[in-house]
Amino acid sequence: MEERGEFVIPAHPQEVWDALQKPDVLKECIDGCEEMTLTEEGMFACVVAIKVGPVKARFTGTVKIEDPNPPHSYFLDVSARGGAAGFGSGRAEVTLTEVAEGTRLNYEVQGTIGGKLAQIGTRLIQSFSRKMTRTFFDRFSRRWVG
Amino acid sequence: MDAETGIGASVLRKEDARFITGKGQYTDDISVFGQTHCVFVRSPHARAKINSINTDPAMAVDGVIRVFTGDELVEDGIGDLPCGWVVNSKDGSPMVSPPHPPIATTVVNYVGEPYAFVVAETLQAARDGAEAVEADFDILEAVVDTATASSSTQIHENAPNNQAYDWELGDKEATDAAFENADHVTELDITNNRLIPNAIEPRAALGSYDAASSTYTLYTTSQNPHVERVVLALFVNVAPEANLRVISPDVGGGFGSKIFVYAEETAVIWASAKVGRPIKWRADRSESFLADAHGRDHVTKAQLALSSDGEMLGLRVKTIANMGAYLSTFSSSVPTYLYGTLMAGQYKTPAIYVETQAVFTNTSPVDAYRGAGRPEATYVVERIVETAARELNMDPVELRRKNFIPPDAFPYQTPVALEYDTGNYAASMSKALELADSDGYAARKAASEANGKLRGIGYSCYIEACGIAPSQLVISLGAGVGLFESAEVRVDVSGSVSVMTGSHSHGQGHETTFAQLVSDRLGIPFDSVNVIHGDTGRSDYGLGTYGSRSIAVGGSAIDKALDKIIAKGKKIAAHMFETTEDKVNFAEGQFSYEGSNEPKPFAEIAGAAYIPAVYPLDELEPGLSEKAFYDPKNFTYPAGSYVCEVEIDPSTGVTEIQKFVAVDDFGNVINPMIVEGQVHGGLAQGIGQALLEHGIYDADGNLSTGSYMDYTMPRAADLPDFEVDMTSTPCTHNPLGVKGCGEAGAIGSPAAVMNAITDALGVKDVPMPATPHTVWETIQQGA
Amino acid sequence: MKVDLTVNGSQHAVDVADNALLSDVLRETLGLTGTHVGCDTSQCGACTVHLNGSSVKACTVLAGQADGGDITTIEGIANGDDLHPMQVAFRANHALQCGFCTPGMIMSAIDLVQSADEPLGADEVREGLEGNFCRCTGYHNIVKAVLDAQANM
Repeated sequence: MEERGEFVIPAHPQEVWDALQKPDVLKECIDGCEEMTLTEEGMFACVVAIKVGPVKARFTGTVKIEDPNPPHSYFLDVSARGGAAGFGSGRAEVTLTEVAEGTRLNYEVQGTIGGKLAQIGTRLIQSFSRKMTRTFFDRFSRRWVG
Repeated sequence: MDAETGIGASVLRKEDARFITGKGQYTDDISVFGQTHCVFVRSPHARAKINSINTDPAMAVDGVIRVFTGDELVEDGIGDLPCGWVVNSKDGSPMVSPPHPPIATTVVNYVGEPYAFVVAETLQAARDGAEAVEADFDILEAVVDTATASSSTQIHENAPNNQAYDWELGDKEATDAAFENADHVTELDITNNRLIPNAIEPRAALGSYDAASSTYTLYTTSQNPHVERVVLALFVNVAPEANLRVISPDVGGGFGSKIFVYAEETAVIWASAKVGRPIKWRADRSESFLADAHGRDHVTKAQLALSSDGEMLGLRVKTIANMGAYLSTFSSSVPTYLYGTLMAGQYKTPAIYVETQAVFTNTSPVDAYRGAGRPEATYVVERIVETAARELNMDPVELRRKNFIPPDAFPYQTPVALEYDTGNYAASMSKALELADSDGYAARKAASEANGKLRGIGYSCYIEACGIAPSQLVISLGAGVGLFESAEVRVDVSGSVSVMTGSHSHGQGHETTFAQLVSDRLGIPFDSVNVIHGDTGRSDYGLGTYGSRSIAVGGSAIDKALDKIIAKGKKIAAHMFETTEDKVNFAEGQFSYEGSNEPKPFAEIAGAAYIPAVYPLDELEPGLSEKAFYDPKNFTYPAGSYVCEVEIDPSTGVTEIQKFVAVDDFGNVINPMIVEGQVHGGLAQGIGQALLEHGIYDADGNLSTGSYMDYTMPRAADLPDFEVDMTSTPCTHNPLGVKGCGEAGAIGSPAAVMNAITDALGVKDVPMPATPHTVWETIQQGA
Repeated sequence: MKVDLTVNGSQHAVDVADNALLSDVLRETLGLTGTHVGCDTSQCGACTVHLNGSSVKACTVLAGQADGGDITTIEGIANGDDLHPMQVAFRANHALQCGFCTPGMIMSAIDLVQSADEPLGADEVREGLEGNFCRCTGYHNIVKAVLDAQANM
């Protein structure tokens, strides 16, 4: 599964960068996120409840920041397990570019899913992940607007 | 004979009485005292190394009794699940069959492969326990695609190029020569889509162990309980055969998928002794999608050599067959002896050469599914014949007629091993054309065009080899079992009859058909015959029901046992008449002797058999119960002509089947109503393959079509009314002259549908299933 | 939780888990195994029963939702030895083979015929049975049976 996209955030790259490192900000912006803790530098543990079509589960996972180049780019290694519902893992490249409106964030994800999620939810997973991403950046951008 | 219940009558089914009232007893309907529940923990990965399995968290779940891993089965001497048919490669080397432990120990090779199972007080606790099992995997690169499997990462250590075997059949040189002399060569590259059988009853097992007698009883959804028993005893080492009773009660459809010996019943029956309590398992549907053997999945290149006037001179077929991750019970025979041997079809093609490369992939094992090899063969032959006719600008009907094996040529030896005993292909074709109103087709096509629709007509003239089959032939070709059938006819003192058969009914109506046969031959009331099947504790032996073999082999075994009953009855009657047995006649339920005007009804002789007053016991044993084993001399060869007419809406790509005519030659028919029903069901599955059904894996080896939301099952509105009729050339080598009807519909129909669709669209090929999307895309590409 | 159900005319007060499905309660608690479970996505229809006169898929109804309800299963449609016309028609038309989908098919078909304002045609029967899978019959004889039963209901 591959996915790419971009969002423009009305803030300076350094502000965006800093916010993206904060567990409480991430928790607030990820739809269904119940826990997000910094376990060590650049490493988060999280619990996210999701519902993809008929598959509903609580996923526990880790998010690891790799090759950070503040405030320009980093890689995210994500892996999550949802018990019988399945699992997902992926690697995302995130780049921040200063633009007139603030920061343009580009992301490119390569991921795999497995288990029940892949068997039952595969048709829905692309639209689900797009919606999840859009929700994240909508909420994230709102920090600087109104 | 009784015209209402005898051979040839459409008797309503005995078994329906329980099914329409909800009183059927399917495996999951049976519960026993103290039973526990079982859930399998299945691999979410298509290919991975198992580093460790931690069962402790599962054991901590309330209600969990035991959690088993594959290592425990291995330590207890439980063997691999075997493949019962050894196919040799071209070079004479035997096929590669990788180790297939029932419960994976070191590696998992397809999504859904079980690596542990949880036994608990309740199903809910077993589910919770299964979710709590923790496994650490190293995920490995998966191989999914049939066509490229042999050049992909090697899955099994002992299978280079992911090849199970590279098999051939036919005369290569003669075929090459035929192509050199040909005026025209038609080439066709086609795929046969992977199907998932989907009997509506999910597989289930209920195993129990009686420590007092050291015996095991397994209720399971099997098409062949005796084969299940012998495999579990002899190969898997669960228990000595004599200590193992396998019962297949009512079974809700099989279509091949319930022939095989699977991990689940193996685990359940084995573990019942370890736990000391009965264990029940029933598959969820999404589990069935992963854990039942799939069907078909071929990629084929075919070439047909013809003369300019349409004489078929030679056929070359090269197929890659996807076997999935392991060789399932009879999988190896499907794309070889049940496939290559059918490439002559109904035609005189003198030279044929078939090659099949069987490959492993990280997908569910593929094995026999309704038709098993013969639908794939028919699809190749009938698609390429139709394509050749178009290329030669010949009427496809005429091209077929020109090449049919004529009625006077039987027995006919094909160039691909089989000897057809009888047939009249032109007769079926003529009848089909008449029913299809082929004369009115041009007008119907014009009417469709006037409505902005595309109309096409397609034919398919299939032949199949069924009534599987002569033991010595199949054993010489690598089969590890005989393929005879057994029967016992037990006449009661009162003259009623119990028939124990090794055939198993899971929808076919044996309780009715076999009772018709018995009542007809013995001249006794239909209702006084009770057919018993599906229990190794009640019938001697049996090879089960698949390959449309029940009437041809199982029915013939009953017929043979009836011969013995009548022969003994004559002996008894002879003593009663005070004559010799050669002077006694038996007809319409009466033993008669010309010297007596008082014939003795069957029931009277039955009574006399058990109350031995008149015959000398040193010559004749008391009782009237006879057993017979019947081993056929040849396969039977049902054949038929199918005509399909479709109308396609070019704006949506939706295909509607407007007419489907099936004319089959099944030889003699015992119960036409049941036979027609079998054809209807086969047609539905064949049309499902052509239009709707497709088992799809993503690149990582996840089954994308893993539920009824994504795997398109044919619904009532997807199918037309069928026009079904028959012709008859009785089988020449079994006593009933019967052939077998269970698979024909699924064998003949896909080619008819696809020939009609390609005719409507004016294209060479459309891949199956021809979904609206696929058809629409094809139209767009042409536009 | 305690649930009161009237099933085939008999009253039952059963203690069930909150997440218990009506299909499980019918099969496991009440022993009415004629209601079959063929899938886990509410598609196959083998579990169809009547709840307060309408067909429902019992695998998709929580037992708790059926509290106080009047349920009819395949075991409850005959009047003693007098079979329901739909049962008679299924047998007479060879509309079943393995019998596994049959109970759900019959229950759906009865509701389909009963809730039709006018006599159904073959196409309407086919459309009306879209929630029930049969893998054996190709539906041909099921359609015949429903049309046949309709005349006697």
